Amino acid sequence: MDYIKYCNELLSRLETLAFHELSGMIHWKCEFVGVDFIRSKQIEGKTVDEIVESCSKAIAAEGIVSNITHKVGGDGVMLKLRVKDCIHHPKEAQTKKEGIAPYLCPIANMILDRIHDKLKYTTSYLAKLGIDADNKRCLVFMALYETPDKIGQVSDWLADDEDAEFLASQPSQILGEKEK
Amino acid sequence: MPDILDVLVTRKSIRRYKPDPIPDEMIDKILEAARWAPTGENYQPWRFIVIRDPETRNRIGDLSKQGSGSRMTAWYCLGELQQRFEKIEDPVKRAEVLRFMYSGEVSEFSKQAPVVIAIIGDLRVGSVDVPYDLCAAIENMLIEAHSLGLGACWVHGPVASTRDAKRFKEILKIPTGMGEYKVIAYLAFGWPREARKHPRPKLLLEDLVYWEEFGRKERP
Repeated sequence: MDYIKYCNELLSRLETLAFHELSGMIHWKCEFVGVDFIRSKQIEGKTVDEIVESCSKAIAAEGIVSNITHKVGGDGVMLKLRVKDCIHHPKEAQTKKEGIAPYLCPIANMILDRIHDKLKYTTSYLAKLGIDADNKRCLVFMALYETPDKIGQVSDWLADDEDAEFLASQPSQILGEKEK
Repeated sequence: MPDILDVLVTRKSIRRYKPDPIPDEMIDKILEAARWAPTGENYQPWRFIVIRDPETRNRIGDLSKQGSGSRMTAWYCLGELQQRFEKIEDPVKRAEVLRFMYSGEVSEFSKQAPVVIAIIGDLRVGSVDVPYDLCAAIENMLIEAHSLGLGACWVHGPVASTRDAKRFKEILKIPTGMGEYKVIAYLAFGWPREARKHPRPKLLLEDLVYWEEFGRKERP
């Protein structure tokens, strides 16, 4: 039996059902999906870079992804992940097929959970998911707020970003099709 | 029976309040209105926490600001919040509105509201309609407040994310188990410092209503 396929089918069903029930609000309610795995690992680090690297190694070591690279920007508020060959990729494809933009990323949830726990950040937010089905690659943009005064510290995250064009084609959490 | 439509069409969300207190009798009437909302199989899963303590309202205001601000800062940094407010033509006004949004100040108003009421649902009573019942109670409370001359606003922001909902529960000492109580929103109440008449355009009925089946616009 293909257990990964089985789990992804379950996840996609839950993702589509939850979106149908709660609309876009569901984006904000799934932040603990995936955290049990990473909490069982020994993740160490004193900075965001160190935590992300430690998480990435643990996640890749178990074969959940082949590779994660990351970039911190926007004066420390932006965390961008590039995730390659995630085992949940078929889940994203199935959810998309149902006409729903995937919003549930266990990998992002794992990393944010460890940042909260280890660095005691005030809050965080999973802001954008870009799914590149052809290349089995995902782009994830997250906002990290170390202290309350970091909220409202704005900059242009996509200026000079090599994936800006691809991201523009990806669904937004707040803009309808007519607004884009 | 009098037609309530005049009350309904003049209600709008009020976020700016005078510091004057709200009499207990008015708070009781708002709660009484909630008690009579429709509820599946009469389960009445709603519970209410009335908050007047300024320190607690400040903590709720801070959490609300943090919730909205954290999301809107990210949307701004991705260029999406700006698109949402493109309709504001004056660039200075638009910049100020955007700053108001991404700073989270837009959701901080519980600090100024003399009364805040948290609406929570008991998930253990057996009801299968908890969120729907709670929303019906909320609407009744908003309408009653408006009919009494008060302003009010429905706020979901600080309980939108699971992590923030847990923080909100901790502020009010609500049990945090996922199977115990659902916090759906809070309402802020106060004497309005802004006009209560609805100034925002509404879609026309002809754009909203179908007859007999989806898509059929002609009234048979």
